[in-house]
Amino acid sequence: MAQIRLKNVSKRWNNFVGVDNFNLDIADQEFLVLLGPSGCGKTTTMRMIAGLEEITEGEIWIGDRLVNKLEPKDRDISMVFQSYGLYPNMTVYENIRFPLKVRKVPQEQHHERVMAASKMVELDDFLQRRPAALSGGQRQRVALARAIVREPNAFLMDEPLSNLDAKLRVSTRAQIKNLHHTLKRTTIYVTHDQIEAMTLADRVVVMNKGLVQQVGTPMEIYDRPANTFVASFIGSPAMNLIQGSIEGGVFTASGIRIEGLTSVAKGPVTLGFRAEDATLADSNGQIEAPIYTVELLGEATMLSMRVAGELVSIKVGKDYRAEIGDMARVAIPAAACHLFDHSTGARIA
Amino acid sequence: MSQATLSHKRPLGLTILITAFIVVWVILAAFPFFWTVWGSFKVEPDFFSRESWWNAIFGVYTQRQNDGSAFTGSGYYGAWVTREFWRAVGNTAIVTVSVTVISLTLGTLGGYALARSGQRYAFWILILALVFRAMPHITLVSGYLLPFFQLNIWGVLPTSIIVLVAINQPFTLWMLHSFFLSIPKDLDESAMVDGCSRFEAFRRVIIPVMWPGVVTTGLFSFLLAYNDFAVTSMLLSADNQTMVPKISSFLGSVQEQGNVMFAVAAVVSATVPLFILVLFFQRQIVSGLTAGAVKG
Ligand SMILES: Nc1ncnc2c1ncn2[C@@H]1O[C@H](COP(=O)(O)OP(=O)(O)OP(=O)(O)O)[C@@H](O)[C@H]1O
Ligand SMILES: [Mg+2]
Repeated sequence: MAQIRLKNVSKRWNNFVGVDNFNLDIADQEFLVLLGPSGCGKTTTMRMIAGLEEITEGEIWIGDRLVNKLEPKDRDISMVFQSYGLYPNMTVYENIRFPLKVRKVPQEQHHERVMAASKMVELDDFLQRRPAALSGGQRQRVALARAIVREPNAFLMDEPLSNLDAKLRVSTRAQIKNLHHTLKRTTIYVTHDQIEAMTLADRVVVMNKGLVQQVGTPMEIYDRPANTFVASFIGSPAMNLIQGSIEGGVFTASGIRIEGLTSVAKGPVTLGFRAEDATLADSNGQIEAPIYTVELLGEATMLSMRVAGELVSIKVGKDYRAEIGDMARVAIPAAACHLFDHSTGARIA
Repeated sequence: MSQATLSHKRPLGLTILITAFIVVWVILAAFPFFWTVWGSFKVEPDFFSRESWWNAIFGVYTQRQNDGSAFTGSGYYGAWVTREFWRAVGNTAIVTVSVTVISLTLGTLGGYALARSGQRYAFWILILALVFRAMPHITLVSGYLLPFFQLNIWGVLPTSIIVLVAINQPFTLWMLHSFFLSIPKDLDESAMVDGCSRFEAFRRVIIPVMWPGVVTTGLFSFLLAYNDFAVTSMLLSADNQTMVPKISSFLGSVQEQGNVMFAVAAVVSATVPLFILVLFFQRQIVSGLTAGAVKG
């Protein structure tokens, strides 16, 4: 009913490219997360879908309507703004009610719906306050309540949790997930927090500098990053990336040698592996290097070592103890390794 | 209570200095006005006495002409009844209200459009407006005078209303433009996503937030029209005069005794509405002048 399609959508300001050639089909009721570092064009993409930003090139379809020329109000979506956009002269109650009033929802439904929405985000105690008398997190929840008070084609949420404390963030995250399950609306959610992306998304779009890097389920993105940017952006710690060369299935760089790779590539490549895929080895490991730091995380211990000029993180058992400068041997299974093109960074295997 | 503790801490010398300064300042600022109000209830030989300025206080001639009373309403009677000052008051009301309403309507719409457009020409329109604002009013009037005669629209109220709006518009445009700039764009955008058209967003969300700015700008427009002499004295016929040129005409014809007192009485009458206005809108004016960031 409300699938959203972006066809070759671009946004340019003079010579600056904000979003470049964005192509995506978002299925009805899908939860799609736009993920990327600050300034990569997430908000811009969302604003183009909402109709707040003119599209330089391309087409946007909502349902079976081409909406390029449609006013925001006629696109029937609701949006949570990164900077809230609450109406300062209205109380929280009036703020949440505003969309119902403008869209001429019958009067007698207003109260019930406002109360339901405010209950969902636990705002009941603040209904008579003005936005100026609320904390950042409370304002964000008002914005959220105002978005969910009606039932639009789609929800657009621009970093709706960025100002909540860690605990509230986890519970609101769960609420949003549940809300999506209950309301069954297409949702586009912007964040630069990969944990949010992983936990909420049906599919994630990773963006960088206005370009889509990869589209996939959270597991696809984690297990098979399409390039070194995605590899280094997803996961904590990020994937270890080492420059070296490969020949006959053997990767070498100073301090590291991995045999048994299936790739037939030859020449300089970038090798990646995740900290948790590596294990400590007694003899003949793939890496042998002195320990640079030891970080205790509680549930595990994080070692870092300097290999081929890069700091490499290795996740080991929580009882492991060693001094800085001790030599350590690390085994990396060839199956857990990712290979990326040396110059473009694109995945080879 | 906190004020009491504050003044306790303050050294005596400073307190005296501050008080003395305020007293001097109040006298300087308010004395001419009180002097005029007091004098408006006297006759001319007292208020403009050549013998002694004490006459203006005690009203020697006023008592003589008035069976012993030191106050007389003859100035007011002469101005309002004999010379029909109420006509001028009515004309002023028409002119000021029209100028304010038209200026504000065009100014809020235009200021909003310019503040949100982001096009280069918006900047040039504002600069052009500034140039027109900088021109002396009289240049506009002298340029208009001949065409107005030829079109046979000289002397009537609508003509001066249009000219006053033209003079005032650049200012309202600038002022409202900067007020609109201080309102975050997110507000319009939220409203539009919530289901408003651009104009509805303007009317239901932006204007209510802008209210202090509108009141402040409106007050300045009002005062411009209210106090104008250059335009109204040149463009209005004697029948259609507003208060300020009317007062000036009381002064001009000195043949009759008491005419100057008519002017004094009329001046006092003309000041009263301003006091009421400022008292009434005090809160909005202060918040309008200090308005800056609107917390979202
Ligand atoms: N009106 C504009 N004119 C010129 N450049 C702009 C404009 N709006 C945004 N940009 C640029 O477009 C790029 C993308 O901006 P956008 O707001 O989409 O980033 P974002 O991914 O939402 O970042 P964040 O996570 O910090 O919110 C940025 O580099 C920004 O500087
Ligand atoms: Mg953003």
